[in-house]
Amino acid sequence: MDIERLERRGWRNRTFDVLNAAFLILLMLTMIIPFANVVALAFSSGMASMKPEIILFPKDFSIEGFSTVWNSLDLRRPFMNSVIVTVSGTILHVLLSSLAGFVLIQPHLPGKKFMISFVLLTMMIPQDAIMIPLYLVNKDLHLINTLSSLVLSGMISGFSILLMRNFFLSVPYEMCESAQIDGLGMFRIFTTIYMRLAKTGVATIMLFEFVSRWNMLSAPVLFINDSSKITLQVALKSMITDASATSSNLLITTNVRMAGILISIIPLLAVYPFIQRYFMKGLMLGANKE
Amino acid sequence: MRMIKKNSIFYVMMFPVIIYFALFAYYPLVKGLQTSFQDYKLMGERPYIGFDNYNQVLHDPSFWDALWNTLYIGGGILIFGFIAPLILALSLNEVMKSWFKKTAQLVLYVPHLLSWVVIGGIFIFLLSPDSGLVNLLLIKIFGIQPINFMAEETWARMIMIGSAVWKDMGYNCILFLAGIAGISPTLYEAARMDEATRWQQVHYVTLPQLMNTMKVILLLNTLGIFRIFDQIFVMRNPAIASKVDVLMVYTFQKGIMEIRIGPAAAASFFVVLFTLLLTSVVRKMTRFDEV
Repeated sequence: MDIERLERRGWRNRTFDVLNAAFLILLMLTMIIPFANVVALAFSSGMASMKPEIILFPKDFSIEGFSTVWNSLDLRRPFMNSVIVTVSGTILHVLLSSLAGFVLIQPHLPGKKFMISFVLLTMMIPQDAIMIPLYLVNKDLHLINTLSSLVLSGMISGFSILLMRNFFLSVPYEMCESAQIDGLGMFRIFTTIYMRLAKTGVATIMLFEFVSRWNMLSAPVLFINDSSKITLQVALKSMITDASATSSNLLITTNVRMAGILISIIPLLAVYPFIQRYFMKGLMLGANKE
Repeated sequence: MRMIKKNSIFYVMMFPVIIYFALFAYYPLVKGLQTSFQDYKLMGERPYIGFDNYNQVLHDPSFWDALWNTLYIGGGILIFGFIAPLILALSLNEVMKSWFKKTAQLVLYVPHLLSWVVIGGIFIFLLSPDSGLVNLLLIKIFGIQPINFMAEETWARMIMIGSAVWKDMGYNCILFLAGIAGISPTLYEAARMDEATRWQQVHYVTLPQLMNTMKVILLLNTLGIFRIFDQIFVMRNPAIASKVDVLMVYTFQKGIMEIRIGPAAAASFFVVLFTLLLTSVVRKMTRFDEV
């Protein structure tokens, strides 16, 4: 290959690199600018936030948006409801799905085949297609308008069970056997050995569940209509979309709405670094076994 | 018998799962099917009425609207939600500086993390005619009249497709990137030996090697078409409802808002049917089973 050709290719490569980076930066800006706009508006005063201007930095800095949304509009209660549902739901989800995953790695367990298909088949049932009957079931169990209905919704999933099972399969089974000989009970073996060795898996489904529970919308919309039991997402939704329809509510200025959005984002951003660390790794590891 | 006794602890561990799935997965499915053949009232007699509910749904023009909207919006999300992250992954893969690559992934993933209430709310605000960023820019640059994006039928579906693609782009891109990372480096070495340009490497190595990942993502996204709910539920408004209400929203409206449970259950089973049909078509088309 002669030098001239190499050089020409080098030039072309560099042009491509620049264009490519520009493309990516432009795309990132479509995510950064709206969020900068939201943050800036949330920290602006009510008057400044209602002016038709493009602002990327707070104008007339104030945190009145936050105090209005938290105290006057009482976002506190939906926030606490969401915390309760998310935390208890996530813990139960991780615990029960892992337990099932642990059971399903046991060799020579009578009925194991049946249990595996029983779990697998649930993944074929489109959750949303059973929306109406699920509502009826919750109604029959007197769960409508209780936070329990939200904890129960998606409390166990076939996906998590299989993911945990794959993680447990990578632990040598001899460990379980020798621990048994040492006199450890199965439940102890599960908590002290398996849950600890499958940390990546636990972290994966925990984060996955945390995010989807925090963001859950269809279940609370379906099961809750008592305003003291609604979750943050539902409260936020009525604040954002109904604000224009019921403009008599002068409290809801733009900075208030944006403050509400920011409050709902904070817990997610808090777990984001962990998601970066575990989430993808976990999904890949979990999916590649079997 | 001794086997069962020895293993009893495992059955105890499995017990909550079995009960849960029986009650919240299998029973609703059966109950839904039963309900779809009943004149279901919340109180009193619930006589069986054959296919009346299904007939009612099939003769409801808004059901057909909802089906068409689902196919239009869902199809759009399926196609563009596949192409956009693929291009993004290929482009990210060409970035040499790892800090830039990491930052880009970090930023692009964020929208996927947020709920549709947040994303929908931001979109509604950005597109609002009087104070939204988009209109302010349009006025400043092109000096045109503000467009009321969220109230115009011509824009409604495109906004739904666009926002959904934008939201999940970063997530699907990571799946593609993971697939690319799994490609054997020797293939690229061989290609470089043959003096393949970067574009040729993408064309002859990356894309063909990525086929399996692409099939999996396509199939997963196909299943998602009939599950669209949160997004539309948040972003719909009376002005555009007839153009964006998808099947899930239709079912919700019928069953929960109008309390016409029988027809709603029947509509749900059409959704199940369509999902099965579409999945098998995509499976056939991508020859998924040969993977």
